[in-house]
Amino acid sequence: MSDLRELYQELILDHSKKPRNFMKPEGADRTAEGHNPLCGDVVTVYLQLEDDVIRKIGFQGSGCAISKAAASMMTDSVKGKTTDEAQAIFEKFHALVTGDGTSDPNDLGKLAVFSGVREFPVRVKCATLAWHTLRAALKGKGETVSTE
Amino acid sequence: MIKSVSFEKTVYNDLPYKFEAGTPHIAGVIGLGAAIDYVNGVGLDRIATYEHGLLEYATEALSAIPSIRIIGTAEEKVSLISFVLDGVHAHDVGTILDHDGVAIRAGHHCTMPLMQRFGVPATARASLAFYNTKEEIDVLVRAIHKAIEMFG
Repeated sequence: MSDLRELYQELILDHSKKPRNFMKPEGADRTAEGHNPLCGDVVTVYLQLEDDVIRKIGFQGSGCAISKAAASMMTDSVKGKTTDEAQAIFEKFHALVTGDGTSDPNDLGKLAVFSGVREFPVRVKCATLAWHTLRAALKGKGETVSTE
Repeated sequence: MIKSVSFEKTVYNDLPYKFEAGTPHIAGVIGLGAAIDYVNGVGLDRIATYEHGLLEYATEALSAIPSIRIIGTAEEKVSLISFVLDGVHAHDVGTILDHDGVAIRAGHHCTMPLMQRFGVPATARASLAFYNTKEEIDVLVRAIHKAIEMFG
């Protein structure tokens, strides 16, 4: 049970049950859809960029607790950030959940609760789906991303 | 399969041999034969009876869980139980069960339209075979309760 609790930390369970920014924000001008075809997880990220800063962001979709919580906490963590800052957070987050050892959880604030994911390789895609989708939305091409 | 090959020209064998790619899967054929002998040795009737008993036991045990919905209740179905739990996504169920040594399949099982038909994003599915036991079903049930408790 102990490493299961590492994966399903209280903050993750909380965000999965009560996702933040779970809506399409008014004025959103960029959007992208992400799919995790093997799981059936699907997420749509909406955002509004103003002078390269993410002013508004929201998401909709369905998936497991990890993917929902990751999307919810992603929106919280990149709101008000520039695209470069958001990209930098994603890179650190990605390093954290894949456990490549280059990421210092202290740099990631609340997102550090996802450090348990690295013990569950099949769940890495759940944690990163919303982030890949964010990146597609920032590119503004309205493309659909897939983890496969 | 070919008849002859030179730098200038390749001549393929006649039908149907031309569609045989090199050495056939000989080890696989021998393995399949051994598997059929094994299953016949145990007896298909005995296997079916035993698996049906497991299915009945598991269906009763799982049905007693309040927040469960069993998907697929055909009378003559094979010994599989697909299910969803209120408030716990199938993939989270899979991870939690795996932690207790119970391997199930989770997801849309390559039947996305069927998931839509039942109005579920995914299901968890336990497959019972003649090498499983009632004790293992008890472990499954306990692990499901653990998942419910964690997400409760």
